[in-house]
Amino acid sequence: MRVVVDLELCGGHGVCEREAPEIFRVVDSPDGYAHAEVLLEQPPEELRTRAKMAERQCPNQAIRIED
Amino acid sequence: MSTTDYDTIDFFQPGPLYQNPYPYYEYLREHGPVWREPHHGVLMVTGYAECVEVYRDSVTYSNCALMAGPFAQWPVPLEGDDISEIIEQYRDRLPLSDQLVTFDPPKHTAHRALLARLITPKRLKENEDFLWQLADRQIDTFLDRGECEFLRDYATPFTLLAVADLLGVPQEYHEEFLQKLQSKQTDHSADNRGKVEHKPLEYLYQRFTSFIEDRRRQPRADVLTSLAAATFSDGTLPEVHDVMVLASGLFAAGHETTVRLLGVMFQFLGERPELQQLLRHERDRIPNFIEECLRLGTPIQADFRLARVATTLGGVAVPPGTSVMVIPAAANRDPRQFDNPNELRVDRTNARQHVAFGSGIHGCAGAPLARTEARISAERLLDRMADIRISEKAHGPAGARRYKYPQTYIVRGVERLHLEFSPQQPSRAKAAT
Repeated sequence: MRVVVDLELCGGHGVCEREAPEIFRVVDSPDGYAHAEVLLEQPPEELRTRAKMAERQCPNQAIRIED
Repeated sequence: MSTTDYDTIDFFQPGPLYQNPYPYYEYLREHGPVWREPHHGVLMVTGYAECVEVYRDSVTYSNCALMAGPFAQWPVPLEGDDISEIIEQYRDRLPLSDQLVTFDPPKHTAHRALLARLITPKRLKENEDFLWQLADRQIDTFLDRGECEFLRDYATPFTLLAVADLLGVPQEYHEEFLQKLQSKQTDHSADNRGKVEHKPLEYLYQRFTSFIEDRRRQPRADVLTSLAAATFSDGTLPEVHDVMVLASGLFAAGHETTVRLLGVMFQFLGERPELQQLLRHERDRIPNFIEECLRLGTPIQADFRLARVATTLGGVAVPPGTSVMVIPAAANRDPRQFDNPNELRVDRTNARQHVAFGSGIHGCAGAPLARTEARISAERLLDRMADIRISEKAHGPAGARRYKYPQTYIVRGVERLHLEFSPQQPSRAKAAT
């Protein structure tokens, strides 16, 4: 399982961070546009449900969970 | 107000509760994070976790009656184990039925994707230079007076032109947009219930239809052309109507709400000189201050979902056809989620976890724009206005302020905010970074 965030689409909502804080964290950037940072690019299987929920719930559909 | 009074008051009728609904939300919360209020049988959701659960579940909960909620005029009773067929048959009769906010998947997914590349960091960065200039130009119009009505003189024109610029409305139309859209905002009055006035929307519909038709005939290198040319994920081109409705909706959604946010910010700054000083000297605190203003001020206080099938929420049974009022304003003060929830703390570590922008698939698409507008406004206003004070003449003395709020349970924010300040030597351009 691989977690990919499209930073062109990410709006820094933080829904992913709430759904799977082990995998995602919203960080500020110097230009002031907060975005999601992937903490675990290849998370363990037991986090699959949370990762998939983050993918589904992202308001900008910026997350892809690839197998 | 004693608890007994809350038992008898109908929150959905015009009345004094709208001047400050927060004690009423605490009354609701005392009955549990999810509670069926007695007057209309609406399930009131004040719990943070429970609001998030509703946002997550776009299968069980439909957005079709987002604004109208229990006052939606359904021609047949909402009976049966699954009211989806009734919803699909009659949803077009409900307010805002042509707007993205009331769509459900799969239609929602397809149309939301059209917005995907429109409010991206890349586009916003292009927009940002304009926003700095716009802030300064707007401040120029009233700075010398040493006082202003903040919403009329700054927040309304600024936010309106900010979203116009993002959508690529050509400069030569900006004045007209200002005139047509400034006076009458969307009418969410409690006594209108399901009927929502949208004259400004009609104007937007006309204008954007002609822009989009024009750009499809003659593409240019501009944002309106990208909007006009955007396709669904299967490559098909949307109807002009669909794109026009999207652009107009963005405009309407992004305008009044951000005005309210700016109002909340400057209400706090005017009331708290020490906070003002802190932010003047530590500009990197501004973003988190904005999050706290969103959490405590929550411009869109609540909206409705409709349960298609039976479910449970927070241990409470939700029959099909139940109107569920999701109250982010209350969720944002849930003590299970936020310590000392009624306190503004610029150093609150989980401030960004508020749900003022909703969450899930309908999460506010304009959130990055709103945040940017707020940040740039705070920076320039703090630069150029020293010693910002709430006008006692208009709002009374500290501790006995008089603020007026609109008669609606949906939107919150002062209607007028009179400020006084000392104009600073106007320093023009923001230093290039």
